[in-house]
Amino acid sequence: MKRFNSNQAFSGWMFLAPFLVSLGVFFLWAILRTAWFSFTDYNLFAEPNFVGLENFTSLVLDELFIFALRNSISFALIVTGAQTILALLLAILVNSAARAKGVARTIFYFPSIMSSAAMTLIFLWLFQRQGLMSGMVGNFVNLRWVILSFFVIAIVIQLALVAMARRKYIGVKLFDPYFLLISVLVALISAVIIRMGGFVPVYDEKLLISWLNTREVFLFMPRTLWSVALMNIFTTVPTLMLLFLAGLQSVPISLYDAAKMDGANVFHRFFNVTLPSLTPVTFAVVTLGLIGTLQMFDQVAILGAAAPLESRVTLAFYTYYNTFPPGGSPNIGLASASALTLGVLTVLIVFLQRRFGIKEKLE
Amino acid sequence: MKNSTDAHSTDEHSTRSRLPLSALRRRQLASLAWVYLVFIGLGTVLLGTFAIAFAASLKEDPLENPFRFIFPQISPTVWISAADLGRQGAGDPWWGGFAPGGDIEFSLTYGAKADEEIIEPIVEVPRRKPGSGLAAAITTTFASDYALIELVGTSQNSYELVDQETGQNQSYLSKTYDYRIRYDPDQVENIKVERTPFTALAPRTQTLLDSTLPVTQMERRGRVASWNNITPGALGLIFNSYRRVINETVDLTTGDRLFFKWMGNSFTIAIGRVIFMIVLSSLAGYALARMQFKGLRLVFVVVIFSMTIPVQVTFISNYLVIRDLGLLNTNFSVIMVAIASAHVLLMKQFFESFPKEIEEAAMVEGANRFQVFFFVVLPNAKPALIVNAIMAFQGAWNDFFWPFVLITSPPSALAVPVGLLSLRQSYGAGQGDWSLVLAGAFISIIPVLIMFIMFQRYIVTNQTSVGVK
Repeated sequence: MKRFNSNQAFSGWMFLAPFLVSLGVFFLWAILRTAWFSFTDYNLFAEPNFVGLENFTSLVLDELFIFALRNSISFALIVTGAQTILALLLAILVNSAARAKGVARTIFYFPSIMSSAAMTLIFLWLFQRQGLMSGMVGNFVNLRWVILSFFVIAIVIQLALVAMARRKYIGVKLFDPYFLLISVLVALISAVIIRMGGFVPVYDEKLLISWLNTREVFLFMPRTLWSVALMNIFTTVPTLMLLFLAGLQSVPISLYDAAKMDGANVFHRFFNVTLPSLTPVTFAVVTLGLIGTLQMFDQVAILGAAAPLESRVTLAFYTYYNTFPPGGSPNIGLASASALTLGVLTVLIVFLQRRFGIKEKLE
Repeated sequence: MKNSTDAHSTDEHSTRSRLPLSALRRRQLASLAWVYLVFIGLGTVLLGTFAIAFAASLKEDPLENPFRFIFPQISPTVWISAADLGRQGAGDPWWGGFAPGGDIEFSLTYGAKADEEIIEPIVEVPRRKPGSGLAAAITTTFASDYALIELVGTSQNSYELVDQETGQNQSYLSKTYDYRIRYDPDQVENIKVERTPFTALAPRTQTLLDSTLPVTQMERRGRVASWNNITPGALGLIFNSYRRVINETVDLTTGDRLFFKWMGNSFTIAIGRVIFMIVLSSLAGYALARMQFKGLRLVFVVVIFSMTIPVQVTFISNYLVIRDLGLLNTNFSVIMVAIASAHVLLMKQFFESFPKEIEEAAMVEGANRFQVFFFVVLPNAKPALIVNAIMAFQGAWNDFFWPFVLITSPPSALAVPVGLLSLRQSYGAGQGDWSLVLAGAFISIIPVLIMFIMFQRYIVTNQTSVGVK
């Protein structure tokens, strides 16, 4: 028996050997070396000298690092939060349309097969100052009165229809889907008539928005990164929605029936049946989302001169920037220190998420 | 959106009744309609963005404002005249050009108020370099050196239009000039030129109403009508920027077409990565799934840990290892730095679901672990291996970071994503030649797109692991 075990151990390690060599050299050894470099003044060429905590103090004093830290953390939290919530909501909204199959599935999966480089270039074009995005926002601004009248008309008709029905019937909801269909349709037609007839002012201003080349900060994050966040969310939400949809469709219907019998309303059922059964999927989505967004690099590098450094820098890019500074000498010590910070930050955030946020399994 | 009625409120409002069954049915249908509307809306936004970006990549100026949805490149009547002109110019209705024997008929129609005189425009095949950036440096042949223009006929017409300001009828005059542009028969070099630019200078009192091919742009405050190419051919008209991105990204020292080189590099990297990942992950995945020995748990923990840590944490040391091995700027370096952890987990999961009995039967017959793995397990692991290969190919093809760090020169050694970035730096940034950048981006996704369509059912089943980035 003993021989068998040691035999198995031997062949086990043999199976693992190629992978372990790769993991050892390019992961474990790399981390150890990065940790060592962070305490030295290494510059890629001369022998490294031990300098203690000097790199970490200059890191904290470097304004660019503070920007990078702020940008990385806000980007990760905002994008992960937004994409998870949006995907979940959309999945719940379309859940009753049975399953997303065939063409729909292909369409929603499409953005996630694109490379970040191709995607970023397309979005760079879209987000040019005089580009299509500015044009679309400009259209909305110019048509603001038409859009406002659309909403006013829709709300008024919906309220009127619901009020009328409630006088006769019970159980008519405020967002009654049938009435909503009517009121939106009527409002749409009236909006077109209003636009054609020129009953409200329509402006003709050309709006130019600096989506990328700006230093403006909005809610802890530069506008540049908000644009990048928009792009990230746009590409991930459809695919994440498919994931949630798959999760939703594995929830046994008997659970809903039981909840209904107990008199639970829509919201109770959502919070007590739907959300808990989606926990494993949500955990994976949130965790992978955090890890992925914390190391956001490609988009920043491709943006390049299209945006000021401080509005696009992330921890990942800061590390690269100090390793290969344009026109300067490499500062490996500083780069390693920030790389280490990024690693520790990622582990910390993932741990905190797991501890206080969404758990891996149902309790 | 499900219809639920409150059961307990019935007694309090005895004068009101519940919604009749037909009304409830209507509401059910309406909620279904909403669901589909959301579905369609989402799909439209998603595909619409790509469709518009693709349309823009065909345009001469993708940044035009306001954005036109109808433009020459998508209009079938223009395709026909472009094909016709391409045939006249070089006998090639698809890609056009200007070659010996070329004989092009090109007409311009000008209009003006009846009391103004329409004078003959000054036409020219200018010595013009196409586009911007690199193209200017590599263009050595010009249609202007071979073109002879003669006016072969004019015709006159008059028509009436309602003046928008006064509301009165105003008479107009239009004059058509037919030109013949021939390839100089005295030239003996037999050179085919890719495009034939054309300009027509006329006073501002007369407007260009019509021409054989729609004008590319008006220059000098509307006095000069300018065509980038009057012999485009149908495909040359539609996919002008695609042809340019392939022809104009050229290594200035060697003359190689860079885009093909980049694609080749990315293919090498992707195929290499597929082999690398499959070998490592199937071996390691099997060990993690099937064998019990000391240290197994630790390996598993490290695998999970390695998936959490960003690549930027390890990249300094990895760069040094590659540098010290003398492998910088090689495709091989990009293949080998990747960590196979996600693939290992995928294979582990598959092997765990593989029926143990088959292996045990083989073991009883005296086969050892390696024989069992190679002859029993692996032949049955095809679905997992395909998923694994697709993930590896897509990951390597789309990977930006490692090629960006490890391959920096010469220009022909880059991988596609980094090549795209260099394209943007030379065309998108200062020049504003966005159609080339967009065309490059769309060409770069073709291989993954083909793979996606071919192996769709495998990809979608495994979206958990690749979906988030």
